Amino acid sequence: MKFLPGRFLLFLVSISISSVAMAGDSQQARDWLERMTAAMSQMSYQGTFVYVRDGVVETMRITHVTDETGVRERMYSVSGPHREVIRDRKGVRCVLQDAASVVEDQVVASSYFPELPLSIIDGDTSGYLLETGGEARIAGHTARRVTISPEDSFRYGYDFWLEEQTGLLLKWELFDTNHKPLAKLMFTDIAMGSSVNLDELESDAHAEDFVEMKTFGLQNTVVTGSSPRWQPAKLPPGFQLASHSHKAGADGVYEHMVYSDGLAAVSVYVEQQGIETEVKPGISQLGTNNAYTRKQGTLQITVIGEVPAITVKTIANEMALSVASN
Amino acid sequence: MSKESLEHLSSLMDGELSREAGSFLTRRLFTDDGMCEKWERFHLIRDCIRQPGSKQMVTGLSIKLSASLDAEEVPTVSAWRNNRWLKPVSGVAIAASVALMAIVVTAPQPDQVPGEGDATLVSTAAQPFVSPNTLARSPISQAASFAPAQQASSNRLNAYLLRHNQMARTAGRQGFVSFVPIVATPRHSVVEDTQDRTESTETGSESAALENR
Repeated sequence: MKFLPGRFLLFLVSISISSVAMAGDSQQARDWLERMTAAMSQMSYQGTFVYVRDGVVETMRITHVTDETGVRERMYSVSGPHREVIRDRKGVRCVLQDAASVVEDQVVASSYFPELPLSIIDGDTSGYLLETGGEARIAGHTARRVTISPEDSFRYGYDFWLEEQTGLLLKWELFDTNHKPLAKLMFTDIAMGSSVNLDELESDAHAEDFVEMKTFGLQNTVVTGSSPRWQPAKLPPGFQLASHSHKAGADGVYEHMVYSDGLAAVSVYVEQQGIETEVKPGISQLGTNNAYTRKQGTLQITVIGEVPAITVKTIANEMALSVASN
Repeated sequence: MSKESLEHLSSLMDGELSREAGSFLTRRLFTDDGMCEKWERFHLIRDCIRQPGSKQMVTGLSIKLSASLDAEEVPTVSAWRNNRWLKPVSGVAIAASVALMAIVVTAPQPDQVPGEGDATLVSTAAQPFVSPNTLARSPISQAASFAPAQQASSNRLNAYLLRHNQMARTAGRQGFVSFVPIVATPRHSVVEDTQDRTESTETGSESAALENR
């Protein structure tokens, strides 16, 4: 029996050690993400953060309170036109001073579909690579870095800086496949727990200055566990159906599907074309979100999510194929 | 502007104001720039809701009114005093004229595209963010385009995003971060604005990207 050369053995051992180390690091990253998920929803916190995109710096303030009445949250712009989002048990209310309008959406019931476990974002076909990184001091707190890198062009990557004790998100960066930064967010001060000032939950926007715009056909929808009427024949790797709802009643078509890879999510809306639902065809950008709208027969298909443009376009075109064949 | 004034203005738009009050408010519209701008904005918003994508031409109404007022001969006090009975009638007539003007200029004109044949839409100071219609053939990212005609479309997309953030529980993993793009100053841009594939069933290179995985 011929013995393996020493160098080759050494190589195999080092590969095994690094694989184990990577697996351990990946598990550690998942643990941190679980802590972050819990902290972001279950803790009360309040702070000021800067948001940077396309070289423009904006300052915003967030108050998030979780108590016996549920979750209440208010986020508003500190500089520029007054824009704010208020979330509570009634739904979401969005005040846009520059558009002199208020956009509201009712609260949506939980999905019938099982929640996607974090483990799916670390499989062979997940499209992500998870790592933990070093420490930094942000807004007076020690933070640990977790990096989620995309392995294909269908999703973005994230850098999370999480508060060491609680897992609360202190800094967030979004980047593309080439690690080019797309947006950043960082707290400059943050208070937690009982030091949160509840008065800041109250909006100081004057309702009389705004025109209220309901979300039209998005109301009266029913979340269901049934299969959607149409589904894309092909999806980017790792994406699966996470939620489905449709409009109650027979006045036109409304189908809403959410597909997720465990971290990123895209919504697919299929609606009857109409004055109230019309969206300009093509790709649009809403901040870091991409949306793609196209028409298929009398239906309008819109796909939206914080994913690259190719992803929303691919899914919309696949959905159009499905609609066309049924 | 007081809440009461805004309510009166809204009532005037809906034709729910009494003749006397309408007459009074119409006179004020001619002298109060702020109110005139509000009136114009109300019409824009209403038009956006009712007819998204329609051509908006009311912008500049206040300027046009001011210009016409400047050019108009102001009747003397004595002349008005001699024709007191004309006051309510003229008030209603002015109100009707303003309303008609607003209706006429906001009527949808689907054959016309902003930026083509109507330079006022893209050059009016009141619409500083209107981009020329070169977007339709441009594959590259453009600057913010928040013209009133696109407001309804943008609001619809915002509504989609609000619902998406509620339904996508995975988005909840990052908490409020999903809603930050809504609060951020809109730099909503249309990267690609073509309808050439509207009825197409071809999926092209994106599909190939899926296959190649």
